[in-house]
Amino acid sequence: MKILVCIKQVPDMESRFKLNSDGTWYDETDLAFRMNEYDEYAVEQAVQLKEQLGGEPEITVLSIGPDRVVEAMKKALAMGADRGVHIQDPKYYQKDPWQIASAIARHAASQNYDLVFTGMQSQDRGSAQVGVTVAEILGFACATTLVGFSYDNGVITAKRELEGGTKGVAKLKLPAVVTCQLGLNTPRYPTLPNIMKAKKKEIAVQPIAELLQEEELTATARMYPPARKGGGIVIEGDVKDQIEKLFGILKEKTTVLRAA
Amino acid sequence: MFLELTEEQKLIQDTARNFAKAELEPLAAKLDREDDRPAFLANLKKLAELGFMGLNVESAYGGSEAGVVAFSVAMTEIARACASTAVTVSVNNMVCEVIQAVGSTEQKETYIPRICSGQYPAGAFALTETGAGSDPAGMTTTAELHNDHWVLNGSKIFITSAPYAGVFVVWAVTDKSAPKGKGISCFLVEQGAPGLVVGKQEEKTGQHASATCELIFDNCRIPRGALMGKLNDGFRIAVAELCGGRIGIGSLGLGVGLAAMDYATRYATERVQFGQKICNFQAIQWMIADAYTELEAARLLLMQAAYRKESGKSFAKEASMAKMYATEAANRACYSAVQMLGGYGYTKDFPVERYARDARITAIYEGTNEIQRIVISREILRNFA
Repeated sequence: MKILVCIKQVPDMESRFKLNSDGTWYDETDLAFRMNEYDEYAVEQAVQLKEQLGGEPEITVLSIGPDRVVEAMKKALAMGADRGVHIQDPKYYQKDPWQIASAIARHAASQNYDLVFTGMQSQDRGSAQVGVTVAEILGFACATTLVGFSYDNGVITAKRELEGGTKGVAKLKLPAVVTCQLGLNTPRYPTLPNIMKAKKKEIAVQPIAELLQEEELTATARMYPPARKGGGIVIEGDVKDQIEKLFGILKEKTTVLRAA
Repeated sequence: MFLELTEEQKLIQDTARNFAKAELEPLAAKLDREDDRPAFLANLKKLAELGFMGLNVESAYGGSEAGVVAFSVAMTEIARACASTAVTVSVNNMVCEVIQAVGSTEQKETYIPRICSGQYPAGAFALTETGAGSDPAGMTTTAELHNDHWVLNGSKIFITSAPYAGVFVVWAVTDKSAPKGKGISCFLVEQGAPGLVVGKQEEKTGQHASATCELIFDNCRIPRGALMGKLNDGFRIAVAELCGGRIGIGSLGLGVGLAAMDYATRYATERVQFGQKICNFQAIQWMIADAYTELEAARLLLMQAAYRKESGKSFAKEASMAKMYATEAANRACYSAVQMLGGYGYTKDFPVERYARDARITAIYEGTNEIQRIVISREILRNFA
């Protein structure tokens, strides 16, 4: 079995973000980066499957981005992935999810992967589209937002998290793409000996231009933080007064009552 | 000149930080107040399984082969959460390293994997005696060869991890007539050896979860093969190995100092007096600036000492400078942190009083800072002689 795990390196979410000089993305200077949380569940699930199958599957970890993403890939290798593919793209953030998925699918098309794991979304962009789009382009079965995973004899049983807290169970035949959600597993800490051994694992480097020729189709015009909210209004009086005042405000200052 | 950690060192730092935050920090205050040895030892076991007990130890003996810089940054991260855990990890690493440096193949294959894997919660370093602290060559514990056994008599004091250590590196006088320091040998004594008694546990100011005990040798019999290194060469071994331990303790001090200042600085951005946040006052700003500058200088000294040791260069002076400076910077940082919290800093509702208590010993153990100054000045004066 050949497994692909697609990971993204994202800024630590506790960082103080500043906009870059042209105001189209965050400034990366002084940010600490780490593996996207949902992708950690993907790596962990892939490694658990490899262990379940006696170590037979080969796990390739793939990441698109500038050279710094190698650090996140090394973590995946230390957790148990076998080899890495780094698709070099310093302007990765200007590509839309379709283009990112196209580059991944282009790589995957020649590799005969049986199963692709990835996070359900990235913590920075949060489009949640890359995984499903890869599946669509490759013609693989797909299940998203997994909170449970089991594999037996070519069939995946995926427990999915649906809207409103309901759960669904889907069965998929290989080849398939699954996207991973919080609650699926607890990612292991990489052990120190494995961190040191990961140094010797191969990371192939490929420029993005070899996988994607088209220009960016979308452009970020401007990025800005939400406007600071002023202090709230405390409505006082008896309940009837309060309701009248509230309706008054909603009618005059908002659009919520207009559709009705 | 390159001041960045390698990717592997960064990953080790991250692993230590994440583990410390998730597993050690939530327990640290409780372990400071009440004894819960099973919980303390359970975390040591997890750290061993992750490879933190033999960072600078060969993989053939179960070590991580991660080097000294990685050891330093890992110690700092662990100490930011729990100094008691950090000192145990530091001593375990030092015990592994001394066995690796001077032990026989059999001794290395027997004991190092047991510490690295967590089979032994700890190893211990038994040098200090009631009458031999800063002057360890003045020790009086003796070892005499009786047929195929060594018989040890005497006692040691302030032995870290004594109740749960699987093995003790013990120094004893083997030639009473030799000049001072020339008649001491080094032995490996297993827990439970006949005549080995773990005595009273000290009630310390800080680092409560880490047990510190007296050790008594009452006709303690150990096999002839328990001698480690050459006969009467033990004092040299102790002096050499303590240098590496100093990098560990300096890094630990740095971690405690950072924890204190991080807490106090965050507090200063929230606490309001005179109608504004106290971080707006210059008095507070200067404490923040001074403490972080000193802690950063400490980090650079530690990195230099660790780098020199890792590259096989001399590092005794640099390790002493780093240990002395880092632990004093940490104590000053803790003093300022308590000051910044005011009365709250002096209560157990906030962690800075614990940091201040935990930091105090770092200027004393692993060679008092006065001894570090002797080592540093001796090395410098040698070049002027």
